[in-house]
Amino acid sequence: MSEAKIKSNNLNVFYGDKQALFDVNLDLNEKEVTALIGPSGCGKSTFIRCINRMNDVIDICKVTGNIEIDGVEINDENLDVVSLRERVGMVFQKPNPFPKSIYDNISYGPKIHGKGETKSELDEIVERSLKKAALWEEVKDRLDEPGTGLSGGQQQRLCIARAISVNPEVILMDEPCSALDPIATAKIEELIDELKKTYTIVIVTHSMAQAVRVSQKTGFFHLGKLIEVGKTEKIFKNPDNKMTQDYITGRFG
Amino acid sequence: MNFVLIFLIVIFSSSLFFYGKSKTKSISIERNIKLNALPKFYGYYLVLWSSIPALVFLLVWSLFEPVIIKSIIIETAANQGAIFNDKNEANLIYEKIKAIHLGTYFGDIDTILKESAISYSKFLNIFTNSKIVLIFVTIIASVIFSLKKIKNNNKAREDVEKILKGLLFVSSLIAILTTLGIIFSLLFESIKFFSVINIFDYLFGTNWSPQRAFIRDASAITAAEYDELRDAFGFVPLIAGTSFIAFIAMFVAVPIGLFSGIYMAEYASYKIRRISKPIIEILAGIPTVVYGFFAALTVGPFFRQIGESIGLTVSSESALAAGLIMGIMIIPYISSLSDDVINSVPQSLRDGSYAVGATKSETIKQVVIPAALPGIIGSVLLAVSRAIGETMIVVMAAGLAANLTINPLESTTTITTQIVMILVGDQEFDSPKTQSAFALGLTLFVATLILNYIAQRAVKKYREKYD
Repeated sequence: MSEAKIKSNNLNVFYGDKQALFDVNLDLNEKEVTALIGPSGCGKSTFIRCINRMNDVIDICKVTGNIEIDGVEINDENLDVVSLRERVGMVFQKPNPFPKSIYDNISYGPKIHGKGETKSELDEIVERSLKKAALWEEVKDRLDEPGTGLSGGQQQRLCIARAISVNPEVILMDEPCSALDPIATAKIEELIDELKKTYTIVIVTHSMAQAVRVSQKTGFFHLGKLIEVGKTEKIFKNPDNKMTQDYITGRFG
Repeated sequence: MNFVLIFLIVIFSSSLFFYGKSKTKSISIERNIKLNALPKFYGYYLVLWSSIPALVFLLVWSLFEPVIIKSIIIETAANQGAIFNDKNEANLIYEKIKAIHLGTYFGDIDTILKESAISYSKFLNIFTNSKIVLIFVTIIASVIFSLKKIKNNNKAREDVEKILKGLLFVSSLIAILTTLGIIFSLLFESIKFFSVINIFDYLFGTNWSPQRAFIRDASAITAAEYDELRDAFGFVPLIAGTSFIAFIAMFVAVPIGLFSGIYMAEYASYKIRRISKPIIEILAGIPTVVYGFFAALTVGPFFRQIGESIGLTVSSESALAAGLIMGIMIIPYISSLSDDVINSVPQSLRDGSYAVGATKSETIKQVVIPAALPGIIGSVLLAVSRAIGETMIVVMAAGLAANLTINPLESTTTITTQIVMILVGDQEFDSPKTQSAFALGLTLFVATLILNYIAQRAVKKYREKYD
């Protein structure tokens, strides 16, 4: 059992008057894949967006409670969001490459954080990131072509490469395969398996099969509450909670 | 008279709606059949059929009636011994006859004119009466035709749709034909101008002084006079002045408009946006003549005063004042267009940028603006085409002398100003001076057309990327 990298404690999230998360206490282990499952609108995405403070972008969103990464409180007004997001990367539901070249898509993050001062350093970062995202072989000859010209699965791997280009510790994935076909999905899942050696990964998914395939730990959310969390094997074979049982067997959701 | 007729036709055919509706209902009950369309479609069908043929007839009649009466009257006048050598004289006599008929002619009336006037009123009477009768017949015929169709339970829905489609087509045709008409009238007058002045002398000449050709019949220009006129119509100072003022305007409007657009789209809260957007758009609603006298009476003298106090000679009608005020006028166009364009950049791109740790301004500078760039360029080009076509401000504030200068403190002139100056007051339409206004108009039209085309292409290219 590895160490808890991220700990949330009584985390509540409000969108205006509406409460989206209720007292979530969830520990995420280092260098492990944690899958968050649950029906639409249950707060899974809201939860992971708390980990890199993406909810700051939404004006009416208010977060109370604590989240610690390596024992440091991040739900703190004085926290430097820029360096937090350098440590916690994110991949979104729909591939969202910038309308720039493949090279610029990857070098964007390092440039912002002042990494890669020389061209050769940047080249190296781009190559390393694309290799880690298993995209290098497919695009190495056309790095100056626009990233938006790639196929959906390639775009999503480009976004993963973009996320790892700044060398984060945690990668958040918000339904990364929901816009992809099965073959592209299989590639991404393979990639996740590889990435977990280096990074702590949290993945939100609607596919229970995917959760079983990629994760070691699974949390089940329902109506903004964390219903049950445990080893993936246990959650899917022998859940404690009746509601979890009903959801994974497809009786609602 | 015609208005009364149109009014009566419209009233009558509208009332047929109810008749058509109830008639079809009773038909369906009587014969126990299922109607091919809702009863109201039969109502519409009857309305359209009873009004459109009559209205079209009236329109065609009104177009041809004056022409026919005129030729008849001129012929009768000639038969009675009136003498006219050409078309213009014939027209003059015809106008005299009409004036006598209306009782507004105060010259001497001889017997020929008197007789002709009597026959004019006679023909007018006949034509009016037959018009009314024929319209009546048209209405009856078309109503009978459509009633027969209705009785046979025709497919009224399809027919109504077809007629409406036709009506809409005619409307768009009118708009297109008007545009074509304007282009051709510009073109024909310009061709007359270019038959006197060589097009290359016009395009590349550096001296604009059209008053030298004041009231001179184009067809009667001698070779010596032509040589003298050759360098009177040089277009270069005008395009230079126009571009110069437009440049100053864009220099003011692009940064301010773009920055306020960015603020509105990215930073302003909903509340601020809701209040300040309409206020900025008020700028676009101020009549340009108001901007014009603001530029001429306030800003121009203000610049002159400042200039004098630091020892510069500033003309009170300066390119700077005109350009500055024009720039302020254009701000809302750029600001609101670029606001729209920036808003339509998908949020997911911003999220992607924030997620790697970029700040808001980095995201805007490196992701949002580049993504929105084609649209922003499009909005700027649209603003440029507005700037070069703008008239009132430059007429009032930029001056009339066609100086070829790049000193913003001197007065300069623009294409639009010159068109206004050429066409105000009494004009001889055969003079190259007057015709040069059409050549200028054509040039301006082509320039704005090209700019608009490029702008629309840019905006479209941008749209394709994200839809």
